[in-house]
Amino acid sequence: MPTLEMTLNGKPVSVEIEPGDLLADVLRDRLGLIGTKVACGEGECGACTVLVDGETVTSCIYPAMKVRGRQVLTIEGLSEGRELDPIQMAFAAHAAAQCGYCTPGFIMAAKALLDENPHPTREEIKRAIAGNLCRCTGYYQIIDAIEDAAEQMRREG
Amino acid sequence: MRHRIVGEGVQRLDIYQKVQGARKYPQDFNMEGQLYARVVWSAHPHAMVKRIDIAAAEAAPGVVKVLTYKDVPVNEYGINIHDQHVLAAEGGKVRWVGDRIAIVVAETHAQAERAAELVQVEYELLPVVTDPRQAMRPEAPLVHEDHENNVLHHISIRRGDVEQGFAQADVIVESDYTTHFVEHAYMQPDAALGYIDEQGRVTVISSCQWPHDDLHQIARMLNLPEDSLREIVPSVGGAFGGREDMYIQHLAALCAFVLRRPVKIIFDREEVTQRTGKRHPFYMRYRTGATRDGRLVAAEVELISDAGAYASTSIPVLNNAVTFAVGPYKVPNARVAAYTVHTNNAVTMAMRGFGATQPPMGYESQMDKLAQALGMDPVELRMKNLLEPGDVAVTGNVMTGETGVRETLHQAALAAGWREESDHWIKPDIGVPSAPHKRRGIGVAVAYKNVGFSLGFDDRSSAHVELTLAESGEIARALVKIASVEVGQGVLTALAQIAADTLGVDLGRVRMAYVDTANVPDAGSSSASRHVFMSGGAVHRACQAAKEKWEAVLRAESGETHIEAKYTFRGRSVRATTPFAPETGQCEPHISYSYATQIALVEVDTETGETDILRFWAAADAGKVVNPPLYFGQQAGGVHMGVGYALTENYIQQDGRPHTRRFSEYHIPTVLDMPQEFQSIAVESAPDPNGPFGATGLGETPTLPTAPAITNAIHDAIGVWIDDLPANAERVWRALQGHKSDAWANKG
Repeated sequence: MPTLEMTLNGKPVSVEIEPGDLLADVLRDRLGLIGTKVACGEGECGACTVLVDGETVTSCIYPAMKVRGRQVLTIEGLSEGRELDPIQMAFAAHAAAQCGYCTPGFIMAAKALLDENPHPTREEIKRAIAGNLCRCTGYYQIIDAIEDAAEQMRREG
Repeated sequence: MRHRIVGEGVQRLDIYQKVQGARKYPQDFNMEGQLYARVVWSAHPHAMVKRIDIAAAEAAPGVVKVLTYKDVPVNEYGINIHDQHVLAAEGGKVRWVGDRIAIVVAETHAQAERAAELVQVEYELLPVVTDPRQAMRPEAPLVHEDHENNVLHHISIRRGDVEQGFAQADVIVESDYTTHFVEHAYMQPDAALGYIDEQGRVTVISSCQWPHDDLHQIARMLNLPEDSLREIVPSVGGAFGGREDMYIQHLAALCAFVLRRPVKIIFDREEVTQRTGKRHPFYMRYRTGATRDGRLVAAEVELISDAGAYASTSIPVLNNAVTFAVGPYKVPNARVAAYTVHTNNAVTMAMRGFGATQPPMGYESQMDKLAQALGMDPVELRMKNLLEPGDVAVTGNVMTGETGVRETLHQAALAAGWREESDHWIKPDIGVPSAPHKRRGIGVAVAYKNVGFSLGFDDRSSAHVELTLAESGEIARALVKIASVEVGQGVLTALAQIAADTLGVDLGRVRMAYVDTANVPDAGSSSASRHVFMSGGAVHRACQAAKEKWEAVLRAESGETHIEAKYTFRGRSVRATTPFAPETGQCEPHISYSYATQIALVEVDTETGETDILRFWAAADAGKVVNPPLYFGQQAGGVHMGVGYALTENYIQQDGRPHTRRFSEYHIPTVLDMPQEFQSIAVESAPDPNGPFGATGLGETPTLPTAPAITNAIHDAIGVWIDDLPANAERVWRALQGHKSDAWANKG
């Protein structure tokens, strides 16, 4: 089996995979990172969103081999121990998760947005999460959370 | 005086795990030596199964076993009626494409998937019936060959004298309405892990809504006593009624029972979409009469619902629809006739509203048509006719003190800019459209919904509470055991708030037990908006009993440190519901209610038929608000489902064969499809003294008025009534071209 080497959540990782393996399956089944959720398996709902070199990818259709030598960030890499990322704090404060299945994907999409654009308008936030589906919340809490996280992150510099 | 926790916006108990992706759903569990199962589905919507050949599949690499009907101890099941085979039998029929032929179990998921293709089935095709109106005809193919006809259930009710009522009417409006198949589209695909636990129990980890009822059904299927079974419910990724019936957990249990090894099943999105139940399409005919001064005098309603291939909960869904057929209005003379009819379409089942979601499209469109015919403001016409305390509903029951619909209409109308001037209501100025080819309109709709199981059902929920006392005698910890499934609505947080307030302790001292039928008592289903009322009632009373014991311990200075109390709350202890009386159908239908009014301000593009929702006001009254952010979540999430129902969602089948496969073909609203501005208005005018702290239930009501509020707004904008859902761009465009839309020619 080929070996995939990448930097996963800031740490070098080496894992044996099958050539056709998809990134979500490698993360979940081979590395035990269950925070990346698969909801459609077709790249249509954003639940499996992770960041590769800072860009969002839908890991359920992304060939794992494509991340060789690259930086992969999953929901597990956002918090360090008990210290949560400001986006996670804001999602909690705004009750922006209900069933929670789509939540990691939304948080990763927000992370990519705020790393790129620390001053997003509400319209820009909506565009950034337009590829993520949620069946529970109605989205308003999620927009509020991202807006709030942006403000927190600016304040903390 | 201790701070009140009920009413506080405390954070969900599971929120920190959820924002870290640490919460586990059934697909996140794995066990040593686990196998993978893949279902072989029926290839046809109606056929005799002549022969099933599993030899090639069993010989495929990695395959451990291919299960067929011969492996099922009692090969029938169903939530209300045992009318489904677990696995189709040779010599028997398949009746829709969700019927199961076999289950392939292999060492890996990919091996199971490949081998499933190798199961050979010889079918003899039978004629298909897919329109319930045609299915009612004597010459229609029979879906269930042992039934006399395809009508699963018929019920009619009458009140007053309908002919005399219409004779008093100055205006009468009459229309047909249709609603469509809707997919629950919960984000977490169905998944289950079956295994034999350390005590030898057949155990299944699954996402469901009512674990104890699943056990009941699985026990029957496996011919085992319930105490040799166990269901564990970790996080559930949405349900909305779609997990009330069993689609996967019994299959995992069966595999584990037969193979004595852990077996995992995960449906892919196409299976979730095509092989699980849907919301009932309704064909509705409404005739409504009013006097010149705007008083409703008569209504005649016919409802026909598509039950699909199997009964599921189609009978109680239809019964519920009948009780809400004329809406929250005083209608002195009414007749409602209703039928639910088998077809070879997808099984139809519970979905947010349970039969109370389709009729508002009828009764609220009728109200706007009457308002137009009378030259009266739509808010004003509704105000004249709403049920008030002491009024008699269409089922003959007297509405009691907690009837909050008027206040929701009042507050929503004022928020949206209506003015009330000397008994008249005046529509707001809604501004100018954003482009010359666009038109603006505003529409209103009201609705109400039962809380708890109805019509004589013995609805109940049981709670156990265990207190651990500190040396000082104070309550150090309270453990609440109750099998209320957290499907995302936040029920465990609400119940913990109720427990904390009842015991008089901080929320941090209350812990909710993990839902495992081996350890926690039956709470009933996570449906019917019932858990805050029913399970909240159980927790409240169990905590009251525990508190009394605690006070006795303190008085006796016995030094005891452990206190237990149990309570089973029965709906009939506060309001005994009754089934429909023969002939008239009069009854006491429901335990409690919640109410809603919604107003939509839309802009319709006359060139494309697309509808944008600019502003939306959602007012609801479910008594005391237990937790404002969770309440907002039900409001906004309910409206999300209502917007999809109104405008974009449509599960399409042709001749019983599914066309819709996935999210890109089944359009649940994205963030860009939601109302640009949304206001949730929490009205607390109708606390129910029978509910904990006056709360009733809000899970479903916010979905009910959304579609007619939007279609009424579309009419206000472009002058065309859209009587068939969804009011998607194509249908609105066609309506604008002067064509009457045809619900069943629609292709998305």
